[in-house]
Amino acid sequence: MDNSLLGIFQYVDDLLAAAEKCKKSGYGITIISPVPLVHEIEHTFGESKNPVKYFTGLGAITGYLFGTLFAITTSILYVLPRSGRPIIAIPPILLISYETTILLGVLFTLMGFIVLALAPSFKAKEYDVGLAIDSFGLLVDGVRENKFGDIEKVMREYGANEVKRIEKK
Amino acid sequence: MDRTITYKEASEDISGIITKTGWKYYAVLTLMAVSAVSFLFLPWAYQIYSGQGVTGLNAPVFWGLYLVNFIYWVGIAHAGTLISAMLYITQTPWRRAIARGAETMTFFALFLVSLFIFVHMGRPWNFYWTMPYPNQRQIWTNFTSPITFDVFAIGTYTTSSIVFLFFGMIPDLASLSHTATGWRKRLYTALSFGWRGTDRQWHLQAKACMFFGAFIMPLVVSVHSVVSWDFALSVVPGYAKTVFAPYFVTGALLSGFAGVLLMLSIMREAYPVMKKYVTAYHYDKVTIFVVVLSLIWSYLTLMEVVTGLYANTSQEIEHLKYKLAISPFSYLFALMIFSNSVLPLLYIFKKLRNSFFGRFIIPVFVLIGMWLERFLIVPNSLSRKFLPWMWHDYSPTWVEYSIPIGALFFFISMFMVFIKVFPIIAIFEVKEDIGIPMRKSH
Repeated sequence: MDNSLLGIFQYVDDLLAAAEKCKKSGYGITIISPVPLVHEIEHTFGESKNPVKYFTGLGAITGYLFGTLFAITTSILYVLPRSGRPIIAIPPILLISYETTILLGVLFTLMGFIVLALAPSFKAKEYDVGLAIDSFGLLVDGVRENKFGDIEKVMREYGANEVKRIEKK
Repeated sequence: MDRTITYKEASEDISGIITKTGWKYYAVLTLMAVSAVSFLFLPWAYQIYSGQGVTGLNAPVFWGLYLVNFIYWVGIAHAGTLISAMLYITQTPWRRAIARGAETMTFFALFLVSLFIFVHMGRPWNFYWTMPYPNQRQIWTNFTSPITFDVFAIGTYTTSSIVFLFFGMIPDLASLSHTATGWRKRLYTALSFGWRGTDRQWHLQAKACMFFGAFIMPLVVSVHSVVSWDFALSVVPGYAKTVFAPYFVTGALLSGFAGVLLMLSIMREAYPVMKKYVTAYHYDKVTIFVVVLSLIWSYLTLMEVVTGLYANTSQEIEHLKYKLAISPFSYLFALMIFSNSVLPLLYIFKKLRNSFFGRFIIPVFVLIGMWLERFLIVPNSLSRKFLPWMWHDYSPTWVEYSIPIGALFFFISMFMVFIKVFPIIAIFEVKEDIGIPMRKSH
């Protein structure tokens, strides 16, 4: 049966070295930390993909189209003559669409973040309280029963204070 | 910041601000809440019951203290977003300890912005008339009206600011949910939306924050520009100025930064533990912004006056005379210049930046000065409209004085409740400031 091992580290460079070793051995790894380690992880493993940008782009385009069409269709359906000015006035419509571009861009970005980052772990089990405060965790997935000892040894070698076995439901 | 502080210590210090509450705190909160009811809600109820006749608003001055305060609080809301968004995009490290406080100030300032629109409306139950949608009540949506721009701009700004504030709090709420008990634990767990602090979550959080910053940055400029067009797109002398958009944005940022300085100083006195995180270094940086903004504001104020003089139309000259040469407005103008142009320059003396004078007195004067700026524009310009038979001096009544004072008490009450529920300093960002623990020093 495949399960996971969680190593708890005090130092980030130890954790990254252990993570690199486990990744090279073909295991799936997850780093858990109380602070963002984005630069450190990118430095070690290279830049990750950023799918949030698709949500952001979609939101911004939707917002722009919504603002423009909303202002134009309303102006046509409910004509309000304003002393010789055009019924469809471009500058104010640009202003309205500018605001709706930002509004839906922000909301779609939030939605993208919730869908991609939060929803997958919404019901995930808590591994260790310290990981939210002052410890750094390396979660190695897909470890066969007979390989637990090897992975634990690697983690201990690289300075893990504690290694826990995590049972997946 | 002191790099010897441990992560655990930072967590305990900041969560201590939430959980450790003495009787003095409750006493001040009760006083503020009672004052908010007495000065804001009771007079407002009286105004709703009696009608707008209890105010000093009458032809031609229909925009009075309520709209002065509306613009004022939009301005206060600006610095929070600027500190968060612009300084996040540029990865400025000193923003970390002060950004959450500034964002919170923005959140409640925007709450008051909405409140003053309702107060000004007179019949707040008809608020939905301001919503720009096609309707059947013979009130068509006018997309060329700056009031319609306002609804879109302020609506977008409020929504984005709320998203930015609560989005940034998710990792902290997850962290607090481990140590909290009872209703706090349930609240933090629910609001942290399953945050575990995985590398993927942090990566996407950083990217999303960057997008929020990129979106919100232009919003800071656009919102107050749009508010300034409520005036600048009219033909009223004193309102129709092309310089108003940058003038309003700069003024908003100046008052916002003064608000942030004052808020941080009060918080540091109330919670001495904050002195570990908000240090002289932060005062140094924020006060430099105040000096720069004050200089830009002074230039734009000069431009506002000079362009009026250069226009040399009789109505502009009368308006300027009313503002600059007739008591009490001439004294108020002088006080405004003293507060916004002269006093902030004292920050060039390094010793003064972290002194009592620099932390409390100058920000208070700037806040008063910026309020006066809006007062000298909004009702004053309407008092001298074109022909002399339309001239009318505006005298606010006690209701109009009471409601803004009450609103300030309400702002303080809401802020005090907020800091007892949510972390006022971003825990994970402070930890970033402390540094990432490495066995081998780099």
